[in-house]
Amino acid sequence: MRFTIKHANLGGERVGTLTGFMKSPNTVIETPTAALLTQGGSVTHLTSEVLSKVFTTPQLLWVPLSNSVQVEPGLKAQGQGMAKFSGLPEHIICVSQHNMSEVTPPGHFELEKVPLWTKNGKKMITAERYMDLMELYKPEIFLAIADGRTALNEGYKRVLKSLDRSCNMFDTCVRRYKASKLLQNSALVGVVVASGLSKKRDESLNHILKSKDSLSGVALAGLTDGTEEANKLASKQLENILQTMGEAIPNDLLRIVEGCWNPALIMVAIEHGWDLFDGAYATKLSNAGHALTLNLYTGSESRDLCILDLNDERYKEDFTPVLSGCECLTCKKHTRAYIRHLLNTREMLSSVLLSIHNLHHFDQLFRHARQHIAGNTFQVYKKHIIKQYEAFKQYEAANGIINNDSDKPFNGITQIKKKIKVSDDEIPTINVVNGS
Amino acid sequence: MASKSALSFHVKAECKVSKARVGLMKLPHYEVKTPVFMPVGTQGTMKGLLPDQLESLDCEIILGNTYHLGNRPGTDVLTKAGGLHKFMGWNRALLTDSGGFQMVSLLKLAEITEEGVKFRSPYDNSEIMLTPEKSIEIQNCIGADIIMQLDDVVQTTFQDYDRIKEATERTSRWLDRCLKAHKRPTEQNIFPIVQGLLNKELRTQSAKDHMSKDVNGFAIGGLSGGESKDDFWPMVSLSTGILDKNKPRYLMGVGVAIDLVICVALGVDMFDCVFPTRTARFGCALVSKGQLNLKQKQYEADLNPIDKDCECSTCKNYTRAYLHGIVTVETVACHLLSVHNIAYQMGLMKSMRSHIENGTFPEFVKNFVSEYYPDGNYPSWVVNSLSKVGINVVKN
Repeated sequence: MRFTIKHANLGGERVGTLTGFMKSPNTVIETPTAALLTQGGSVTHLTSEVLSKVFTTPQLLWVPLSNSVQVEPGLKAQGQGMAKFSGLPEHIICVSQHNMSEVTPPGHFELEKVPLWTKNGKKMITAERYMDLMELYKPEIFLAIADGRTALNEGYKRVLKSLDRSCNMFDTCVRRYKASKLLQNSALVGVVVASGLSKKRDESLNHILKSKDSLSGVALAGLTDGTEEANKLASKQLENILQTMGEAIPNDLLRIVEGCWNPALIMVAIEHGWDLFDGAYATKLSNAGHALTLNLYTGSESRDLCILDLNDERYKEDFTPVLSGCECLTCKKHTRAYIRHLLNTREMLSSVLLSIHNLHHFDQLFRHARQHIAGNTFQVYKKHIIKQYEAFKQYEAANGIINNDSDKPFNGITQIKKKIKVSDDEIPTINVVNGS
Repeated sequence: MASKSALSFHVKAECKVSKARVGLMKLPHYEVKTPVFMPVGTQGTMKGLLPDQLESLDCEIILGNTYHLGNRPGTDVLTKAGGLHKFMGWNRALLTDSGGFQMVSLLKLAEITEEGVKFRSPYDNSEIMLTPEKSIEIQNCIGADIIMQLDDVVQTTFQDYDRIKEATERTSRWLDRCLKAHKRPTEQNIFPIVQGLLNKELRTQSAKDHMSKDVNGFAIGGLSGGESKDDFWPMVSLSTGILDKNKPRYLMGVGVAIDLVICVALGVDMFDCVFPTRTARFGCALVSKGQLNLKQKQYEADLNPIDKDCECSTCKNYTRAYLHGIVTVETVACHLLSVHNIAYQMGLMKSMRSHIENGTFPEFVKNFVSEYYPDGNYPSWVVNSLSKVGINVVKN
């Protein structure tokens, strides 16, 4: 894989491309961009058939190991990598350890191991084991294993341990990576930890940069452990960290931010030269029954808020599309009232329709950002987006919405299990085998 | 039949041995090829599948449940939306039940009188009176191509003759009230429901009563509720024997493959069942021998598709091993198995239609049965029901 900067502004924001993928030499992924978050190897809620109705070209998929490692026996038997195995052979995958936004229990560390919270419970893994799995996944891009799930206010001792453990594990990754024939076409990304302590953070980055020749990018961890508190805390300090780190990382490396950051923070990150996001935000909105409705056209005002809670009864008889003018399948064929009904009856199609819209619109957010960077008007765009997001937050505050779902921790598997198992239409049909 | 009829049914081909036939049922929203399986989309959606996907799967008519839709989103919303077709974005045919079936399972809460059924809503505990008029009013709002009369439903295995007789006769009286209350006869068809449970005389009476009414098709109800198969098939056979050959016959709540094959042979044209999509959510995939439970460890490294001969998008793109890894965990697994299971049902109906047209239906049935029961132990109901329509499946 090759990362090329096409256009960089004085402010730091930049447009680039990811190219040179062995399996699809013509594919160009433009940055800044968000990957599509996957669960169990599939884009959350979308089958390959439905995904092809949203995107017609190969996409960058974000594949957390924690929610997909259960397919290992099959993956091993097939031997052709995760993208192919999960029915998405033409897509480009980036593998990370976790879904950074998912809350996991604290603690559980051993000397050379970190915990992986899978659907079958906790699995302690070493860097060697991680690299074995990478050879099975055959990703186009993968993040080095790290002990990076620490909040910004994490205790000093814990952060030191995380740094020490991450450095050791990184060295193992690099050694294995260099020696591996199977990973020749995979790009390695180093992971910076200890982000809350500037000295330790620099140590972490410097350690990674010792292996710069092997690296294609740097990802930022150590910002949050996924909990709501940690996310809020990180949100406040993130701008500063993104700026200093953005400046410290060599320009030619791809810069990756993991985590479920809102559009306003994403704009800030882009401004400081960050290129790739994990896409968790769009998925979290869909899971909560929310639709992203940002007005992406600077110079025009939007009547609606930039996030709609379609669970709300106010949409009961609203037969308009989620976002007028949107070109996605959901907006072209379905209404807010229908999605509200699907949410109200806990039907799985609600998540499908919202995912289609949110993934499409989130992608458009980045597409417009790239156009503005190339046209040297990114500052205008950034303000335009942040203004809308702040208006939304003010609306929430004014209406006493404190427990808004979009700020709640990500609870993918439990929530989905609920949807699969408890569908409301089964209330009256207990004990009936072949009922109509 | 009135010139502005909302249904025309044309029998295109008949099996020369059994009572199976192929027909074309023209409905306001779509022309449906019969015999047809109708997947159940209870609440105005087919378990996570897009209307576009259902069209690609060749679904021509699907079901909605009046009871559920009347509660949520409710008739106000459906009326304002312009009916269920527009509300859910489905342009092909729809059928709704009367809401009466739910009484069986809510019987503890329900009180059935001549006026209708009174019960407490499981949603908000309010008292609801479902009369024949009310059922039709709701179904008129929903706007399905075919709607069902409200019938007096008794659990199929119920034994009390007086109660069964009362229910059967009341069903006929309620049919009259339904037909009278029907406001959209040029756009929607009411199907009466043949009742009588497992009683031959009552069922005959019911079918004959319905035959005298100006209706465009018939449903066979009160079956598939836990009775033995040996009790089940004679009632189907009895009903199709009486009902008008020139009108479609719909057997309610039947959808397991072997039942479909046998009831097509007995002359049934339409079926519905939640089974294919429900079993999908539990990780089961339909195949010609029954179903695969993909949760089982034996599939964890099985690189075959569910069915190598299946043309569905699931079998084209995914292995059993992959599905094993995600069933009952990811919504995507439900979607993938629903796609396959509906494709399986559609494929089965399609091949039955083409065998009936080609005059090879009896051979098809024999092959199907021998594949379904590979050990050659055919249940008595399979042998007897098929023998009744001239297909001999007993091995020599």
